[in-house]
Amino acid sequence: MKKVEVKLCLGTTCFVMGSSKLQELIDIIPEKFGDKVSVSGSACLELCSSSTEYSKAPYVKVDDDVVEEATVEKVLEVIEGKLK
Amino acid sequence: MFIDIDCHQQKKFGQSAYGDYFTSKRYPDSGRLVAVLSDGLGSGIKADILACMTATMLLKFIEAESDIAKACEIIMNSLPVCQVRKISYSTFSAIDYEDGTAKIVEEGNPEFIWIRGGKVLQPPYEVITSKTFPNRHMHIYHISLQLEDRLIFCSDGVTQAGIGSRELNLGLRREGLIKVLEDILKKSPSISSSDLSKAIVRAAQDVEPGRKAIDDISAVSIYCRMPRNALVFTGPPYYQDKDNYYARIFNAFEGKKAVCGGTTANLVSRELGVPVETPLSMNIGDLPGLSTMDGVDLVTEGILTLTRTSEYLEQTRTSYPDDAAGRLVGFLLDSDCITFMVGARLNQAHYDPNLPVEIEIRKNVVKKIANLLENKFMKKIIIQYM
Repeated sequence: MKKVEVKLCLGTTCFVMGSSKLQELIDIIPEKFGDKVSVSGSACLELCSSSTEYSKAPYVKVDDDVVEEATVEKVLEVIEGKLK
Repeated sequence: MFIDIDCHQQKKFGQSAYGDYFTSKRYPDSGRLVAVLSDGLGSGIKADILACMTATMLLKFIEAESDIAKACEIIMNSLPVCQVRKISYSTFSAIDYEDGTAKIVEEGNPEFIWIRGGKVLQPPYEVITSKTFPNRHMHIYHISLQLEDRLIFCSDGVTQAGIGSRELNLGLRREGLIKVLEDILKKSPSISSSDLSKAIVRAAQDVEPGRKAIDDISAVSIYCRMPRNALVFTGPPYYQDKDNYYARIFNAFEGKKAVCGGTTANLVSRELGVPVETPLSMNIGDLPGLSTMDGVDLVTEGILTLTRTSEYLEQTRTSYPDDAAGRLVGFLLDSDCITFMVGARLNQAHYDPNLPVEIEIRKNVVKKIANLLENKFMKKIIIQYM
């Protein structure tokens, strides 16, 4: 099975809107899912400037799905959905 | 040719203020550099005020007068005499450099040391005696500088260090200082002015009994070298169709390169076809971590990191935290000529009222950093808006 890829946006907007707090996913994801899921950062996912509504940061991408106003719980939920 | 100049000081033991004062100014358009080191009579606060007044006034005078000798003569003739000790309130060394030639004036400070190819040169000088105080003389030098030349200025705290001690009855003196310099330069021939001035102060302090400085110790080092160039690319250009053009300019630049900004990093990556990676293991502190890109020395987030960088540069500290801003400070201070390419395109998302208000306009933050680098760290700065 292909690995699920999680990318956290670390651009300015996302960082101040909460992605700094998402960094605990670095530890949680391997603990919970082992090597089925990989997690990395992104200099900027360019979602805040392309979305028509600007206020949905922080953004996280799980494969090609965008998680808006991401929290640790939301991201974990999306990953679980993918692994089902 | 770039003039790398820096000063390091040590207070007299037990004093809370420096009794020597160093100040300098660079004129980026002409390449002119004026610097003054003054030693105030006595020590502590009183000396601090005397030295500071003499140095800052002299700098302004040299700036305004076309002739440094004239400026220095006016100051020499007008410096008051201490009522108690009947000696001058303060002594000084001044240098005015432009286009390969340096005019140097000394009054009361130890003679400067000029090193070329490991040898000490003895330049001729002219003596001017004060009309009002016949015991005051100033030495005037006109010298031509070459690449790799070094000039060392110091206060008498360096040459008299260790005086009266068993090992160095007469102090370190000029000969001792020259030996110290030769040793350092043999070991590290391309040492920066910042490190050399620190090493001189350390050497002087080492010969003092118990490492207690009996006088204020100051060392100014000047190093003529090829400039170390650096380029900082931050913010996407206003016209999107210029992305490729500016990315190519960035790519062709010779020197060290930094990218500050996620969007900017993506832009450079896209236009040059070089992937940008953001390993989460490189997160340090409470700033977004570093990214990596082949051919770029440093990739950071934009406005938060730049704002923190300007805060670090504003504080006077000897070391910086090992976060993205600390790394950027290291990158900047290691360079002599720094070009900023500043994109003017706005990121609408930064104007979301939910965001903290301290998110500043990029142009302003860069301007602040550039001012600090130019005036406090004596770097040559070019800002190009895109």
